[in-house]
Amino acid sequence: MDFGYSPEQEALRRDVRAFIAEHMTAEVRAEMDGLSEGFGVSPGRHTGTLINDLFRKIGERGWLGISYPKEYGGQGGDRLSQYIVEEEFARANISLGLGGSGAPAIMAAGTEEQKQHFIPKLISGEFSFALGFTEPQAGADLASLQCRAVRDGDEYVINGQKMYTSAAHMATHIYLMARTNPNLPKHRGISIFLFPMDTPGLTVRPLWTIQTDPPAPIGTTYGTPRTNETFFDDVRIPASCMLGKENEGWRVGALGLNLDRVGAARYLISVRRDEDIVNFVKSNRFDGYSPAADPAIRDKIAELWIEAQVCRLMTMRSMSIVQHGGNFTYEGSAEKVWAPEHGVRTTEAISQMLGPYGQLLNGSPHAVERGVFAHNLMGAFQSGINHGSTQVMRDQVARRGLDMPRK
Amino acid sequence: MDTTLSEEEVMVREAARKFLETHCPPKLVREMEKDAKGFPPALWRQAAELGWQGLALPEQYGGSAMPLTYLGLVLEEVGRALAPLPLHSTVVAALTIASDANEELRSAILPGVAAGDTVLTWAFHEQNPLLVPEAVQCRAVAEGDGFVINGSKMFVDNYVAADHCLVVCRTAPASAANAGLSLFLVDTKSAGLSPVPLVTLAKDRQSEVRFDKVRVPRQNLVGALHQGWPVAERMLERATALLCAQMLGATRKDAEMAIEWSKYRKAFGQPIGAFQSIQHMCADMLMWIDGGNLLTYEALWRMDQGLPAGVEASQAKAFCNEKCEAVIRISQTIHGGIGFMMEFDLQLWYRRVCAWTMRLGTAYEHRAKVARALLDCPGQVILGRPVPVVAEA
Repeated sequence: MDFGYSPEQEALRRDVRAFIAEHMTAEVRAEMDGLSEGFGVSPGRHTGTLINDLFRKIGERGWLGISYPKEYGGQGGDRLSQYIVEEEFARANISLGLGGSGAPAIMAAGTEEQKQHFIPKLISGEFSFALGFTEPQAGADLASLQCRAVRDGDEYVINGQKMYTSAAHMATHIYLMARTNPNLPKHRGISIFLFPMDTPGLTVRPLWTIQTDPPAPIGTTYGTPRTNETFFDDVRIPASCMLGKENEGWRVGALGLNLDRVGAARYLISVRRDEDIVNFVKSNRFDGYSPAADPAIRDKIAELWIEAQVCRLMTMRSMSIVQHGGNFTYEGSAEKVWAPEHGVRTTEAISQMLGPYGQLLNGSPHAVERGVFAHNLMGAFQSGINHGSTQVMRDQVARRGLDMPRK
Repeated sequence: MDTTLSEEEVMVREAARKFLETHCPPKLVREMEKDAKGFPPALWRQAAELGWQGLALPEQYGGSAMPLTYLGLVLEEVGRALAPLPLHSTVVAALTIASDANEELRSAILPGVAAGDTVLTWAFHEQNPLLVPEAVQCRAVAEGDGFVINGSKMFVDNYVAADHCLVVCRTAPASAANAGLSLFLVDTKSAGLSPVPLVTLAKDRQSEVRFDKVRVPRQNLVGALHQGWPVAERMLERATALLCAQMLGATRKDAEMAIEWSKYRKAFGQPIGAFQSIQHMCADMLMWIDGGNLLTYEALWRMDQGLPAGVEASQAKAFCNEKCEAVIRISQTIHGGIGFMMEFDLQLWYRRVCAWTMRLGTAYEHRAKVARALLDCPGQVILGRPVPVVAEA
């Protein structure tokens, strides 16, 4: 057991903080505030000049893709150093987590050609994926998905519909789960395909979220105003777009999802508000009333803070397992239960600390912290729904962690 | 940063588990509930042969100088087996003697502890059950070449088994300079001591101890005169984190019994463990215990590094008090009526974990400590960095 960071890791954290303090100028912040990017801005998307310049500087420091091998454009560093950099930037509303991401699954299951093609550009931000998992009739029970991919010579022909493909209007590629064999049991007839969003026959239609008007301030948990539905009408793609082997997509996808459920972004989106509310109440009064002096609020804040430590330590546990080259049985799922549910508890508790001020949205007179707490009430619960709902995650904890029976 | 156990840490845990599975069956636990001293001397000596009492004591006194995290692993197993050993009270007092007593006292006491010849305990609580300096009214007054103690202490663990008791006394009124407290190691055979046994939920051996003109020699002063509060506070923090480890060991075993039961017990034509309602309860049990473990070992690890760990110990205890209680309640729910039966062993774990949630600080007290660190100290808090906020180098 070792609950500390190495001197090199501590130094790295200080370097990143100093960089952020120096480069997050008022002008950069203003440019970020003009975007409606939810958690934060990512490299390579339709961001502004100053932000793109910032990402270039971050790249020059070697802070993109730290844990990826050098031959694929990474730094050949350790996973924890990457975590430290991602965590510090996430606090400044900058997402370096390869947006979503597909990269871990490509590293695990991709061909050499796929790794060469995708990884460097995912790291630089030139490429990004929209995740094509959920369908109108397949959410929690993802393996019942119906989007079809039929082999035709050297190609596959794809027909079907995907829901909540959130980044589809910005991404360069889609990471698609489709059924390649309807006659096999549902988990065994699925394959994964990676191909460009501008492939003919692919249509993206916007779905507007409850964060649409007014736009949520940057840093809001699920503050995005837009997600999408994506339609596939005889979309023809080369067979080489397949990731892993035919009909083994469930295993490959689960691997990617598992790694996607852990890490700095997933942890911080759920616990950032704990920091915010502590720092807010200790420095703010309402005409003499100090929430920080209220015994009930003090007890609740301490309770939430302790829960946030559990979230942090569960993330550290996942990182430790990855560092040892191991795979999770239940630990990633446990983290995905704890952090989102904690985020919701915090968000709801904060509303009871702020009282009527807690209602005020972005742009309202008297809005607290640009309305981020109010907007979080419209977004925090989302983190317990997507990428595996907390109920499905509990099933996994029980079955993988405790070997509980299905029947 | 690595939250997983090293090979050596796994060995420490496995060795302790194997030993107690062989030598400490529930039958022994039940027998000791009725025993006058509450522990089997043979098992205590065997524990000393395994080096448990001296595990974290300095080598020159017969100890092994291992970190507190190792002691936590052993106490987790002691909790798991509900081993009726006065280990927690002994190591808590011994660690404070090792860190703060004079050389003469250390040499007189610690080798006997490591050898398994000596049982120790400590006494802080009084009528006011809070673990704050103001609650200490028991008086020690200098007289001749020693001190005379008058007053009363509550909830003294294993007093009837102990050879010495480390007592926190008031030697002066609180002042700007210090809280006016001092610690003394009292021989339990001294004249003027009268223990009153308490009848407890855990059926363990706690006492109210009355001090009537009890004399202690000056060399038994532990730490500087009047300046005992920081010493007592460190002792209570260590005691708190180590009790969390013991609670978590017992709670995990309690949960495992429920999970096994749910795989075996059938209702509506299937094992009840196949129902999602039961599975989700069990998933919560596992996650809560794991969360408590992570908080507890972070606190112990910080103590081993010589870092401030009071907030971390409070985080662990506040969490464990509520979550361990919830786990054992769920375990009772899953067991149904059988868990209410004296004959069925589950109750042994249930009663002890309940009792331990009430010792060494309630969830409210510990959260109040965390809140003070968060809200009453200057600086912006950052998750993952210590509170109270310390300026970065």
